Amino acid sequence: MKPILAIDRVTKRFGGLTAVDEVSFELFEGEILGLIGPNGAGKTTVVSLISGTIAPSAGKVLFQGAPIAHLPAFRRSRLGIGRTFQLMKPFPGLDVLDNVAIGALFGTGGGKSQLRQARDDAAYWLDFVGLGHRSQQRAEELGGPDRKRLELAKALAMNPRLLLLDEVMAGLHHVEIDEVVTIIKRVRSRGITILLIEHVMKAIQSLSDRVLVLHHGSKIAEGSPQSVLDDPRVVDAYLGSRRK
Amino acid sequence: MRPLGWTALAAVLVLLTLVPWIASPALVQFGTTTLLLATLAQSWNLIGGYTGYASFGNSVFYGIGGYGTAIAMVQFGLPFGIGILLGGMLAVFFALLLGLPVLRLRGHYFAIATLALAEAMTGVVSNLDIAGRNIGLVLPLLKDDVFFYESSLSLLVLATLIIFWISRSRFGYGLVAIREDEDAAGVMGVNTTLYKAVAFTLAGFFSAMAGGIHAYWITFIDPVSAFDITLNVMMIIMAIFGGAGTILGPLIGAALLASLSEVLATEITGMASLFFGLVIVVAVIFMPRGLTDLMRRFRALGWRYFRENLRLHRL
Repeated sequence: MKPILAIDRVTKRFGGLTAVDEVSFELFEGEILGLIGPNGAGKTTVVSLISGTIAPSAGKVLFQGAPIAHLPAFRRSRLGIGRTFQLMKPFPGLDVLDNVAIGALFGTGGGKSQLRQARDDAAYWLDFVGLGHRSQQRAEELGGPDRKRLELAKALAMNPRLLLLDEVMAGLHHVEIDEVVTIIKRVRSRGITILLIEHVMKAIQSLSDRVLVLHHGSKIAEGSPQSVLDDPRVVDAYLGSRRK
Repeated sequence: MRPLGWTALAAVLVLLTLVPWIASPALVQFGTTTLLLATLAQSWNLIGGYTGYASFGNSVFYGIGGYGTAIAMVQFGLPFGIGILLGGMLAVFFALLLGLPVLRLRGHYFAIATLALAEAMTGVVSNLDIAGRNIGLVLPLLKDDVFFYESSLSLLVLATLIIFWISRSRFGYGLVAIREDEDAAGVMGVNTTLYKAVAFTLAGFFSAMAGGIHAYWITFIDPVSAFDITLNVMMIIMAIFGGAGTILGPLIGAALLASLSEVLATEITGMASLFFGLVIVVAVIFMPRGLTDLMRRFRALGWRYFRENLRLHRL
């Protein structure tokens, strides 16, 4: 099977801090890869390096076999890479429908050219994430959980091939988490490949085909959800190593 | 908009067109000034209101347009129509040249950088022989106020129609996305660099056309008045007073504020600018999103509208 995304020894330094240190991994068509690690491990930086909001200091990023590390963010999104932001970035003054319509207007392949068409798409995706009843409200009026869903709808409206989900469940309660897990399963069933950053282990376990663990910017483990969570290095990274 | 709104708009337009035949010469001159100011406010609206880049450099293009027209007519003896187009082209050239680097800056930094452009331009033009150095240029005299009035009106209508069309297009949505969150816009596929540059350039082009008409009308141009920053402040105030990021807002703002300043200047000459300033301060505190927002939401909220805005300021 060919990878849709390949990260090859990618490094990102911010001044003296190495946020991501020679990380390599592959993502295969149609799979869900969970990306976990303690706070500050470099997870969001990896997402930003793939989506293009920051450029790598070294290393290669290949999307569908072609190098994309030099491309600006908007070109990558047109190739089919969509993302959500952990710190949500709605267009606050626009209504919810138009927030999502912008994704449809500008997404993969250049998006839709007609506003009406884009709004129809937007309405569809708002229903898909269960936010249809809020479409006429301004985005700044939404509460946290609804903003998470809005992030998801905006990214989906871009019709992405690869979706980077940066903690879309943070701050949600159990019922809401189950709802979002269901939504993500439906997204996957449409053949969209997903990189899932999450702290909610329940969700990681039920969704991920494989899990990759970052710690201090380096990859410390990769494998099936259970094998990774049983790995002593992973336990050490999260809980601190036992004194021996 | 409802059919009634369109009818009212058409009636206003017809009335405006007829002004030179029904109004006094003084009113026609006031009308011309106001129409030019409204054009400037409307072009600022594109980059400042829709794209969210508070440009203090629009008066630079106004000056460039005036100088382009003046140089073409005085130094090369070209007719006005060609002169103003050359002025417009010159503005487009400079908008791209200056815009591409300056538009990389955001927020206050962008405002400061564009502010510096106006100063730099005054210095450059003051030392150009072809532009008459710091003395300026005297343009050929045309005593035809109707012509200047109708040209200004046509320019305003043209600028407004184009910006109206943009506001409902994919391009316009891209600009608004940039205003609301530039990083998010980029990740969603908006070519932010290109879009900002095009908006800045279009704004510059319309400002330049207004500058060209103005220079020919008053038959004189010099560096200090051509690149006067207060003009830029005026267009920002007008656009925001009326409602930045809406189509009619800048027009209403320009009409109301120009009239107000005219009335104040004749009634209480000495303290006119003091009162003018007071009106602006009160307006910004009680209706920060401008008149159009007030009209839209006052019906639903009533006096609470002002209270909520006050609370928003945390005064």
